[in-house]
Amino acid sequence: MLETTLCGVILKNPVIAASGTFGFGAEYSDFFDVGRLGGICTKGLTLSPREGNSGLRVWETPAGMMNSVGLQNPGIPVFLERELPRMRTLGTAIIANVAGGDLEEYVEGVRLLSNADGVDIVELNISCPNVHEGGMAFGVNSDVAAGVVTAVRRVCSKPLMVKLSPNAEDITAMAIACEQAGADAVSLVNTFKALAVDIHARKPVFDNVTAGLSGPCIKPIALRMVWEVARAVHIPVVGIGGISTWQDAVEFIMAGTTAVQVGTATFIKPTAMLDIIDGLERYCANEHLTSLATVRNILGTEAPLP
Amino acid sequence: MTSPSPAYVEGATVLSQERLTDDVYRLTVATTTGGTPGQFYMVRAWDREPLLARPISIHSMDEDTVSFLYQVRGWGTDLLARLDEGGEVALTGPLGHGFRTAELHGKIAIVTGGIGIAPMFCLARTLPAGDVTVIAGFKSTPYAVAQLLNVGVDVRVATEDGCDGTRGFCTEIFDPHAYDTVVTCGPMPMMARVAHLCAEAGVACQASLEAHMACGVGACLVCSCPTVLGNQRVCADGPVFDATEVVWNA
Repeated sequence: MLETTLCGVILKNPVIAASGTFGFGAEYSDFFDVGRLGGICTKGLTLSPREGNSGLRVWETPAGMMNSVGLQNPGIPVFLERELPRMRTLGTAIIANVAGGDLEEYVEGVRLLSNADGVDIVELNISCPNVHEGGMAFGVNSDVAAGVVTAVRRVCSKPLMVKLSPNAEDITAMAIACEQAGADAVSLVNTFKALAVDIHARKPVFDNVTAGLSGPCIKPIALRMVWEVARAVHIPVVGIGGISTWQDAVEFIMAGTTAVQVGTATFIKPTAMLDIIDGLERYCANEHLTSLATVRNILGTEAPLP
Repeated sequence: MTSPSPAYVEGATVLSQERLTDDVYRLTVATTTGGTPGQFYMVRAWDREPLLARPISIHSMDEDTVSFLYQVRGWGTDLLARLDEGGEVALTGPLGHGFRTAELHGKIAIVTGGIGIAPMFCLARTLPAGDVTVIAGFKSTPYAVAQLLNVGVDVRVATEDGCDGTRGFCTEIFDPHAYDTVVTCGPMPMMARVAHLCAEAGVACQASLEAHMACGVGACLVCSCPTVLGNQRVCADGPVFDATEVVWNA
């Protein structure tokens, strides 16, 4: 009932753990069978290991949180050697999220991940707001993004999904540019660039000044962006942004997404994604749907453009 | 001592809530999930808001209860303090790597600052009575001292306002040369001082760190702490670290 095909990859269901919120999957194996998930996006990987940002990395907000991790990761070679073999035993689709400091690092990283057995989809991260070089620097302007997508497409034999930033100049134009450059899918949104001030210290909370906002507070804006993008491109759209319940997931699917990614909700409740999967199953049964495709993009065809 | 597998438990019943000082409470809940000294739980006593659970160390435990000693610091701990007997909490845990008790030997000093005394009752209970001295610093009125005395532990108190014990910081009444191994938990500057004194004296020291956390299980990397091995996760690699591995002045 929930089986979903994303870029030719069959997912058990459309619920995917979002990058940076689920480690490499094993961290949550104590709490539930992560093999029940549709897929897992890895922590953002770069060719060289990264220590990430200094100082405080998390700040709670009303209905959300800000993070400033800054792509801390062990590097792609270590991922391939140590983490990927373990991930492959989890019984779910593996989506390797890859970032880079410059174009060469993106291309080499994608080449290595694309050639690795067990990686089902490569998710190109041009949307991390927490690093100075690379990351979102490639995801604000459509022409710049098209350049990196074109370059990595040449070395990527696996399905290529581009993760978009809500901080893009024009997210619809960005999605179209990625599609034209060869992306097989787009996922959106990454975190919103945000600011918090320590009024006692009279300085920003984060060493990096700004940080990425996630959680239920961003959901309505993320949903609007997803809806705009879904009606503008012909490739699958994966929705991300504050999805915490099965009802949230249905909203994104009705706005046109093939699958959803869940991040911050897992911090609230480790088994949140199972609740969403179970809820989607009940929803389909109650509504007599043989597939979620029946309601997918219902808004896209009926709601007029503003 | 091997740690039990962590679990997520909803609806754990509050058995008691005791107010020890103006802002320090002891919450005891019914759960069989246990743990080892120095491990912690992610605790939630609310539905949607605040967003994140709060990491709180195990203060004491037995087969079917776990107690948390905590200080009201903000929104989350304020909500915890409003819980009454019969209330419910959601728990994720036990989490992290606790104290390496097998490495504690000879004369053992436990040096704490403020609420850093929280994990030391269940630790002290597992150590040989008579060999353990707790050197506890407080801003003002001490708490959680009597129960340590009850398990045969020597307790020396320092208070910043001089209302009890020696006036000043706990680090001023701590001489590492008198001990074979040291355990510490408290504010970072205080633990940095303890770590420095221990390193100078060549005495092994384990430090339990505190950090803001989101997932608590090692997945999100927001609680990282600089160490000589690179950034480590306080939640999953710690919270207890060898004091010589922590980069204290970061």
